[in-house]
Amino acid sequence: MTDQEAGRVDRVVMRDIRKRYGMVDALRGVTLRVGPGEVVGLVGDNAAGKSTLMKVLAGAVVPDSGEIVFDGRTVSFANPKDARELGIEMVYQDLALCDDIDVAGNLFLGREPRKAGGMLLDVRKMHADARRHLDALNIRIPLTDIPVGGLSGGQRQAVAIARAVTFGPKLLILDEPTAALAVAEVETVLELIKTVSAQGVSVILITHRLQDLFRVCDRLCVMYEGTLRADLDARSTSLERLVSEIVAHDAEEKEGGRR
Amino acid sequence: MTVTSQRVVTTRSARANAHIGRHAQTIAIAVVLVALLIFFAFSADRFATAGNLLNLMRQIAPTLIVATAMTFVISTSGIDLSVGSTVALSGSLLAIVLQHGWNPTVALLAILVLGALIGFVNGWFSSYQNIPPFIVTLAMLSIMRGTALRATEGYSTPIDGDLWIVQIGQGRIAGVPVPAILAVLVALVGWLVLTRTPFGRYVIGLGSNGESLRRTGVNTRKVGLTVYVLTGLAAAVAGVLIATRLSSGSSNAGSGFELEVITAVVLGGTSLFGGRASMLGTILGALTLGVIANGLVLLHVSPFYVQIVQGGILLLAIFSNSKVWAKFGAIRK
Repeated sequence: MTDQEAGRVDRVVMRDIRKRYGMVDALRGVTLRVGPGEVVGLVGDNAAGKSTLMKVLAGAVVPDSGEIVFDGRTVSFANPKDARELGIEMVYQDLALCDDIDVAGNLFLGREPRKAGGMLLDVRKMHADARRHLDALNIRIPLTDIPVGGLSGGQRQAVAIARAVTFGPKLLILDEPTAALAVAEVETVLELIKTVSAQGVSVILITHRLQDLFRVCDRLCVMYEGTLRADLDARSTSLERLVSEIVAHDAEEKEGGRR
Repeated sequence: MTVTSQRVVTTRSARANAHIGRHAQTIAIAVVLVALLIFFAFSADRFATAGNLLNLMRQIAPTLIVATAMTFVISTSGIDLSVGSTVALSGSLLAIVLQHGWNPTVALLAILVLGALIGFVNGWFSSYQNIPPFIVTLAMLSIMRGTALRATEGYSTPIDGDLWIVQIGQGRIAGVPVPAILAVLVALVGWLVLTRTPFGRYVIGLGSNGESLRRTGVNTRKVGLTVYVLTGLAAAVAGVLIATRLSSGSSNAGSGFELEVITAVVLGGTSLFGGRASMLGTILGALTLGVIANGLVLLHVSPFYVQIVQGGILLLAIFSNSKVWAKFGAIRK
């Protein structure tokens, strides 16, 4: 994975990111790079620092030190809005949807199309645009005027991802998007990740479902106790190798995978 | 999620069912209102006269105006208990400053600004300092009532009937009382803002999932503060209406008013847990309370029963809201 990306500018490079919470070293100098349209799986045990690292990238956490280069420019984020303006969207683990608001309303929450000089919602345009965006992503939700509280888990997750994708992000961060989903619903989300990356969006996927990683990822980055322990090619790595990297055992304990 | 909920979205008839489920309580209150109207029309002689119905509209105008604003507050899963005291304070101060010879227009504007300021204090503590609005507005209830009592020393202050300002409470346009016209306008604007503007959308979002709304970049604290400014302002308007109707400002005005307003809102199907709101329901709720109070008086029932009935209705409304109607809707709240 050196030759193939050598000529391209990386979408994002995080260099030597460090973050301390009191006595806890959450991140101890992590370097991570993601290319355009690449799907990177970020794995590691609980408290390995995956979520903190992604929050740094999404602007929700300000690192103590380190450098973020986005599309060749050094950037720094004070809040999630700064990151979003550059095209970094994060879908959080706890589906950030409003159950009482309909599908179209959730897709455009905070960025509603307006009319009458910004005074009124353009509800018709909102539903028409929502239809277009959902169709473009092959998300099968027949009605856009039903509250999302009435949708299945997979459909809700699809809406959450669609919302992040709707405004043309360059990098999409998904934190455990399949954690609470039924088998068929996981398929929906994995297909969605493929669709999005085919459109040139870089994706970072955090998940504990290791079997998902091999289906959609190009590279697998393993974190261990606040460091990046391994950077593997998803096509040539075995599940056993991945598991042993995650638990940081070099030879032993190869049986099965942690689910 | 269950298989049932997945099926909900697949057909149009299911969508219709889901919508009916969400509005079950609003539909129910409309049915109750019609039943009450028929009942009182037959049992109380003077109930179904144009004069009485216009009078009824004038009576419920302050409730409807504040209930419109309260619908926003409750939709954010907040509550404003201070509106009754604000009614007393604004009515008393209006009478006092008029007695001191203030220009009525200036006095009116000053009272409205005062109401908005009271709401700002409520909103700042609740929204920016994350103190439960129940406690904040309960404290303000006490502070405002005390201030009104201190300002008036407990006496009613008369308002000169020759000033134009008394027309706000007593005037009629084409036979319709001004307070009724004002209340209908406020309710219409409230409905428009709640259902058709980004602000209304954010109010619902704040009550539904505030953290989600915040992450989309909406200034949720500002939205949370604004709704209390609305109730403060509405309460000041109600105080002006009541004081000018009676030509007197009293520090005892509006006691128990907050209960009436909250009952109207909850009766209409707005969820106390936030996220679900019906402005039409609020209008129907306020009308229902007014019809009951008015009808019982016409039936020569002791006025003391009105309060008992109102409290009973509030309890019943909250019960049906959270236990009965919830089963019809696609959303468990």
